[in-house]
Amino acid sequence: MDQAAIQFIDLQYGNVLALLAIGFIGGLVSGFIGSGGAFVLTPAMMSMGVPGVVAVASNMCHKFPKALVGAHKRHKFGHVDIKLGLVMAASAAVGVWLGADIQHQIKENFGEPGSNLYVSLAFVIVLTIVGGFVLRDAIQIYRSGGMHLEDKPSRLARWAQSIEIPGTMIHFRTAGVRVSALFTLPLGFATGLLASIIAVGGFIGVPGMMYVLGAPGLVASATELVIAFVMGLGGTVKFALHGLVDIRLALILLAGSLFGIQLGAIGTTFVKPFMIKVVMAAIMLIVAVSRGLVVPVYLTQLGGMDLSPQTMTWLHAVSFAFLALALCTGGIIIIAAMLRGHRVRTDHLEKAASE
Amino acid sequence: MQKPKPYPQLIASGIVSGSLYLLLYLYEREILAAFTRTDGWYPALPVIAALVFSFAHGAFTAYFWDVLGVTGRRGRRFRWTRPRSSS
Repeated sequence: MDQAAIQFIDLQYGNVLALLAIGFIGGLVSGFIGSGGAFVLTPAMMSMGVPGVVAVASNMCHKFPKALVGAHKRHKFGHVDIKLGLVMAASAAVGVWLGADIQHQIKENFGEPGSNLYVSLAFVIVLTIVGGFVLRDAIQIYRSGGMHLEDKPSRLARWAQSIEIPGTMIHFRTAGVRVSALFTLPLGFATGLLASIIAVGGFIGVPGMMYVLGAPGLVASATELVIAFVMGLGGTVKFALHGLVDIRLALILLAGSLFGIQLGAIGTTFVKPFMIKVVMAAIMLIVAVSRGLVVPVYLTQLGGMDLSPQTMTWLHAVSFAFLALALCTGGIIIIAAMLRGHRVRTDHLEKAASE
Repeated sequence: MQKPKPYPQLIASGIVSGSLYLLLYLYEREILAAFTRTDGWYPALPVIAALVFSFAHGAFTAYFWDVLGVTGRRGRRFRWTRPRSSS
């Protein structure tokens, strides 16, 4: 899309406050689970009248410095595996490139509704499967009473780690994983592919690092910030070359999100790894519902269904409400878990002082 | 002894961050016009600005939570339960 055709919006105070608030909660979730927030920021900006491509570009431009600050903070806590992040990011870049090409082809052949349907179906299928898997794991941990234990690698991860392919083995020290690049490459590729479709590659990247490679949840969520930084930087350069970044939107989002990401990163030191899975599953499944609601709208636009315009408007509104609900649910669970963790720590310190 | 709170750093980084946002507010139109140019090195401006703001505002937000007493648990690095080898 040519920059000359773009209209940049006049910012109102209400819009600025909304961007600050959404930025803060999005940052909080990103600091905690390594991704998230982007899925609601783009539609939120579009609802303010920002053209879709500018919303995506500005979101991307706020994402990479946010991820940088988050990764730096979590690196201090010893959670980041930089090597794993860079290896994943390298193959993710290929995934983004191919994903963008697929998007372009679908748009050329089926138009805007076809492209929207493709994105929404990707959301529903991927998030339902992966979110359902993460939720099942979280429920199993809860039922077994193992919420207070550290992560254990899954059976799949133990199998992946047991496969020795000479010349491809990489040792990721912080993650405590030694695995063949033949497992990290497709995972990074899938992360990039998903990022190019739904803007949140972490919904594949984090569970993939946990369940396929065997990285602990804390390391996976922190390492995802390295991948987000690399992909966000690359995406920003690409959009900036076409003059599509509205720097005002990006920096206002950043103003709120940097408060959030610091808090989310701090929060990971107060909670058990189990909570990362709970937050991730909750957000993914609510977002899947949100996108599932608009599938009939796009099917109608493609002629496959027959809905009235009022019903379509209503479905769009409910879908957006579910996106906001997903973000707020994540934020509330994180804050509650942090407060609980802080109270336990304070009680422990007081008890130790009184003894 | 309790570590002193980083008030001077908070104020200094707050002034830098606040000044940057004030400049953005005052020169909104000029900045937007320059940052959306596609010739020469202009496309680098959004990337540079995002990095500069992230350092200044990132430092401010870090000191902000520090001063409020919201800090991470020191030494709470993750522990990883490595599977026991069957051999």
